Amino acid sequence: MRTGILERLAEAAGDPWSYAAQWKRRTGRAVVGILPMNFPAELVHAAGALPLLVQQSREPITVGNAIFPTFYCGYSRSLVDQAARGRCEVLDALLFVDNCVQIIGAADVIRLTRPELPTRYFQLNSSVGDGDSVPTAERAFRSLRMELADLVGPVTDAAVTEAIALFNENRRLLREIRALRNHTGVLSSRQMQTLITSSMVMDRAEHTQLLTELLAELTAAAAARPAGVRVHLSGHMCHPPHPDLLDMIEESGATVVNDDLYHGLRYIATDVRADGDPLAALAQWYVDRDATVPCPTRVLSRTSWATYLADQVRATGADGVVMLMPKFCEPQMYHHPQLCEALDKQQVPYLLIETEHEGMPMEALRTRIESFLELIALRG
Amino acid sequence: MPVDVERAGGRANRLRSTATSGRMVTEYWNNLFTARERGQQVLWYNGQKVNVFAQAAGLAWCHGEAYSAMLAARHQEEPAQRAADARGFMGELCSYARTHIGCALMSDTADHVAEAGLVGGPVVHGDLPLPDFTISAYPGCSSGQQWDETLYRLFGRKVPMFNVSIPFLWGNHGDALAGPEWDEALAYVVRQFREMIRFIEEQTRRPFDWDKLSEIMYYIKQAATLRTEAQELCAAVPTPASYWDWIASIAPVNFLPAGPQLVEYFASVKAEIEQRIAAVEGAVTGERYRLYFDGIMNWNNLGLLAKKFASYGAAVIAGRYTHRAFWTKPHLIDPEDPLPGIATHFLLCPLNHSAADLIRFTLEDCRKYHLDGVVFHVSRTCRSMTSPQFLIAQAAQRELGVQTMMFEGDVADASFYDDALVTMRLEAMLEAIDVQRTRVA
Repeated sequence: MRTGILERLAEAAGDPWSYAAQWKRRTGRAVVGILPMNFPAELVHAAGALPLLVQQSREPITVGNAIFPTFYCGYSRSLVDQAARGRCEVLDALLFVDNCVQIIGAADVIRLTRPELPTRYFQLNSSVGDGDSVPTAERAFRSLRMELADLVGPVTDAAVTEAIALFNENRRLLREIRALRNHTGVLSSRQMQTLITSSMVMDRAEHTQLLTELLAELTAAAAARPAGVRVHLSGHMCHPPHPDLLDMIEESGATVVNDDLYHGLRYIATDVRADGDPLAALAQWYVDRDATVPCPTRVLSRTSWATYLADQVRATGADGVVMLMPKFCEPQMYHHPQLCEALDKQQVPYLLIETEHEGMPMEALRTRIESFLELIALRG
Repeated sequence: MPVDVERAGGRANRLRSTATSGRMVTEYWNNLFTARERGQQVLWYNGQKVNVFAQAAGLAWCHGEAYSAMLAARHQEEPAQRAADARGFMGELCSYARTHIGCALMSDTADHVAEAGLVGGPVVHGDLPLPDFTISAYPGCSSGQQWDETLYRLFGRKVPMFNVSIPFLWGNHGDALAGPEWDEALAYVVRQFREMIRFIEEQTRRPFDWDKLSEIMYYIKQAATLRTEAQELCAAVPTPASYWDWIASIAPVNFLPAGPQLVEYFASVKAEIEQRIAAVEGAVTGERYRLYFDGIMNWNNLGLLAKKFASYGAAVIAGRYTHRAFWTKPHLIDPEDPLPGIATHFLLCPLNHSAADLIRFTLEDCRKYHLDGVVFHVSRTCRSMTSPQFLIAQAAQRELGVQTMMFEGDVADASFYDDALVTMRLEAMLEAIDVQRTRVA
């Protein structure tokens, strides 16, 4: 039974387009593609559509290279490639809110090459320390709601409130499973990533039901955490590290006790306030997300990713940090020196792995990971 | 029959009036380097033209990109880039950012250095004073905002920073440059200007001089009007001034103090262009090809590229960076009510447009200046200018039948440039233009 649920979630996570197409056929409702990182998917759900957070495809990028530069992050290039290859045909619209220059560039290229797909942008103020960032977010979300009404159907406050409750419950279950997994190792990192990814692409009510069943099974099956070098995985702000890489880290002798990955804690750490005006609550959630797990794509934040990382390592007793940095990810590159300095100050060893969409030298990385873990083990 | 491209023996015939720009720029930097001696506060800013506010407030100002560009143009960028590398900033980061951050790491003022733990020591070029406060006003490019945020953190969050968030001109329902989306964006930026001015007043502890801002914008309007009129004249054949001349004039229009000398400068540039048109004197001797340059300038190879293109008789006449940035709509500036006009120009930054609008602008310029080809500088560490370049190239070929070429380089990191490759691609494009001409003939 447990295997059945995980398999079902893995199938959706592994092929979101097929899942969405089946969902669309089954329900007759719209599928709205959304892009990371701060999109309020609750609004799309409240409109009666499936919010599908477009994932990086594992296919090598080919057609996309002819229309988008190769020195952009793998995620943005994969977005363009998927659109160029017609993989996004199931989408009724593509919406986004974040001002990552690479995501904007990708969406703009998609818009021109797929003019039949309504592609809309409602920019958030990335300067989260400004007093204006919550009102600006609320204005953006109100415009977004009006757009959804045109594209899909009306979005009532009641429907948004209901969606908020559902999504909060989904996040809560994921956090609980994650906490169980961090303490017992009942799931691998790959499997944990599957749970998060499937949440991003599946009907949230369906996913929440499956998580409820899965949690019960996992709780019953939980055992002691396997021994191993305790590591914190850090980085990858908007798309997942390759699951093969996660497998390799664990196979090399690491036990992942914590993370701040987008397809990890970042996605589920922050709930939306369940009372009051729902759009105001979503706007506040946007700012709260950065307060909970600092995001390097935001500016003038009152929080610090470096301080957060050092504190988390101390709190969880991690022996070391594996920094997973997507090649060409500028926000992570900007923060990298200070992350290292914060960890050096605490004498926490760290290893930087620059990840790529394709062609990662896995065996060379295995050697580096194994050496890193051996060094930690030798330190005792 | 295809015609072999041979070096036409052309040479660049640079405007003489732009030599004044060099003197003005040197004077400006020297004033900045000695600001502390005069007891002036120093503002660092990146992105759009915050200098007009700084000048009105009586500040000394440093535009980070301009400083990085200046170092690269003088081949003095390496020590700053090495300082950034040594601190852990990777080579794939925007090289403007990496160079400027390196300068911050190398600057030598006691308090900030000690508290923030920066590396003390002599800077490469003069003594760039660290800022008393910073302003970020970066349209379109999240990396620019993050660069300023990085400086803010490197300064231990002790140097106050203000961020002006500039909406991207996406155009959810068609025209992003008119209608409700534009109106809302403009109002939002103007609102932030007022907050920014309050921030400046808090930092300077004196009221903002609105009269001075009006005066500054009066001169900016005059100078920019002369500049755009002069640029329009370059549709003449042969073109009297080249893209490289406009590059030499970037500093005056971008960040030099506004005043009568700025107006005089662009008046002299326009006058010289008019004289050249009358004398049928071109910016390139033996003009054979007319080209557009898309992308930010490759500052490390400014002279090399100017000579290279000229040697083929290729006149590079206009570009996105020189013709679509820097006060391009001076008629929209009202010196008596300057904020909307300033906000308009912040929004119209070429980094802030959709690919569809950029295609439209490029095709307009190609038609206006009777161009044969488009050269794309694919700046390796700039993920703002480069995203639409493939689509612009395809549109130019499809709609106008012009030839295109692309070469990788960078704004301030010389390691990304390969001269042999550029030469090969340029020759290939010029050959294609020749073949095209023979077919038309």
